[in-house]
Amino acid sequence: MIEYMSQALVTTFTCSNITALVLGTLIGIVVGILPGLGPMVGMVVLLPFTFALPPAVALSLLLGVFCGGYFGGAVPAILMRTPGVPSSLVTSFDGFPLTQKGEAQTALSAALVGSLGGGIISVFILIFLAPALAHVAASFGPPEYFAAGLLGVVLVVMAYREKLAKGLILLGLGLWISTVGIDGPTLVPRFCFGTLAMQNGLHLVPVCLGLFGIGQTLMLVERKILVNARMSLTRRTLDFSKIAATLKYWKSLILSGVIGTFVGLLPGTGSILASFLSYETVKKVSGRAEAFGKGAPEGCLASEAGNNAVPAGAMIPLLTLGIPGDALSAVLLGVFTINGIYPGPLLLIKEPVLINTLYLSMLLINIVAFVILAIWLRPFAMVVRVSNTLLASIIMSLSLVGIYAVNTRLFDAGVALVMGTLGYILLRLEWPVVNLVMGVVLGEILEERLRESLSMSEGNPLIFLERPISLFLFVATFLIIVIPVLWDSRKARIRARNKGRDFS
Amino acid sequence: MPWPCQGIDFMAQKTNPKSRVHDLLGAVLGLFAAIVMATSPWQVDTSGPYPFYKGALIFPLMALGLMVMGSVPSFIRLLRPGATDSWHLDGGGLPRRPAVVLSMAVAFIIGIPMIGLEISCILFTASMLYYLGHRSPKIYVFWPLLLSGVFYLVFKYFLDVYFPTPLLLEYLGG
Repeated sequence: MIEYMSQALVTTFTCSNITALVLGTLIGIVVGILPGLGPMVGMVVLLPFTFALPPAVALSLLLGVFCGGYFGGAVPAILMRTPGVPSSLVTSFDGFPLTQKGEAQTALSAALVGSLGGGIISVFILIFLAPALAHVAASFGPPEYFAAGLLGVVLVVMAYREKLAKGLILLGLGLWISTVGIDGPTLVPRFCFGTLAMQNGLHLVPVCLGLFGIGQTLMLVERKILVNARMSLTRRTLDFSKIAATLKYWKSLILSGVIGTFVGLLPGTGSILASFLSYETVKKVSGRAEAFGKGAPEGCLASEAGNNAVPAGAMIPLLTLGIPGDALSAVLLGVFTINGIYPGPLLLIKEPVLINTLYLSMLLINIVAFVILAIWLRPFAMVVRVSNTLLASIIMSLSLVGIYAVNTRLFDAGVALVMGTLGYILLRLEWPVVNLVMGVVLGEILEERLRESLSMSEGNPLIFLERPISLFLFVATFLIIVIPVLWDSRKARIRARNKGRDFS
Repeated sequence: MPWPCQGIDFMAQKTNPKSRVHDLLGAVLGLFAAIVMATSPWQVDTSGPYPFYKGALIFPLMALGLMVMGSVPSFIRLLRPGATDSWHLDGGGLPRRPAVVLSMAVAFIIGIPMIGLEISCILFTASMLYYLGHRSPKIYVFWPLLLSGVFYLVFKYFLDVYFPTPLLLEYLGG
């Protein structure tokens, strides 16, 4: 273990890894600060560049964007009540009132300390929890993997259960897209519509870059994001005396970090829930509930600690089971598989140096993001003044050239444009695009495991109910579908009864 | 929950979740899935030695089945609209700007093998910036040149990515 850790230390502190880590964090902070972009756009735009990099460096670059995005999102939420990332909305509840009182530095200090603390706590939980979960997952066979994958997919679909039909359509579309091209076991071309280019399949990079990069850029072109000229910061750096003052909320910090990590661990829940849950819990526990919403630094701290704990939390099922919890970790899974690394219980045994490098890089990213924002707070905050149409032009051209560069195929750029159009339509109609990405990423894994399981049982689907872990996972999946439906129908009945009473 | 942001000009109104546009998209995707499903025996060769459960068609059929199942409510609502149902989505009108930008992007992609990466990039970025309202030459001349230079350095010089010789250059060079 110590040997692996020392090797990981060396890998982490190589020049290329540190450069990737700092660059990723810088880009993450910028896309996090810019409302309308977010870490997903940053990650997918950088995705084509990761092919030329070793896996550890590629992951550091993307994780930098992932974590840096959450750090950056708090800045406009506090200064302008405009969250850079959706989960920073909760930070604005107390951050913006503090800014109005002239205490922006207090709010920013609390938010950044919260982000740093939440990030570090979650990485430590990841380090201790991942081997334990991997130990359980080591006894998994194809039926268990299929059941676990199905559970992950169902959790994501049920997270948008008010859009259940739309979610099912998009999940189905994603799963179908994953089957296009030559089928591995039978070497039969599938759904190629007579074209040679389709036989290579629809790669994850153009699909994700199209859906999120180009789709989001088209939204940016259409929906003008105005520059708020009133935003100003008197100091260039963070006020370090305020940082020390926020440390008295250490109990809230730990609580929020733990909540955020466990919310991130569950597929489909996302960082918004982590922020809300951390904020509400700290509000109840603190004994100062009346101060929350009016400018309590503790609120900013709790919300940011909660959402910044999500990336490491989401890494737990990704590394141990190979199941991504959201679209961002789905992209990371893509990077793993493109490099021939398949996350699962054996990953911790097979690639101990890579995994330890990943842990150390995540710790470093949190520190780097904190230091960057603490030193250059004002220059970064002023990023919101950059014209969104200029940004759209840069992102669009970079995306298209980047996609071409991956396989030097113009066909991929065409796929990205088609997916971009679809992404724009889905984003404008507010359909759950995450279901589509989950389908594309998990499709291959689910299909492989399903066919392996059915081969084991000679076509008998009851194999999934004959093995205890698989049965347990299927029962959990069934309950996750049934309980919310029963709960909703009960609520509807009560509402109808109350309505009847009102009329009588 | 209302979006409590200042500084953001979202669509004229919030997206109407009951707009018939949702049903239209659901039905189109469902119809696509049904057609692909019906034609799948011709799209996928199943004549090999594999039984159906090991074969190449079981999983795609399940995926397409999910799509068809999810689109049934959309089909029903599209055929039998309620009295209050409307096509109104968000008051944002037709997406002309995204459509024009998308057309420019298509031209950019076609332009790479025709006129080369650098010229195609300059033309695309300059025309996009001009179309999106930048009238200062400092922006619509400087940024395209800068981007083109950066792309040349990153992709051609450092990453050594192969870009096809522009057809125009071949034609001019005889």
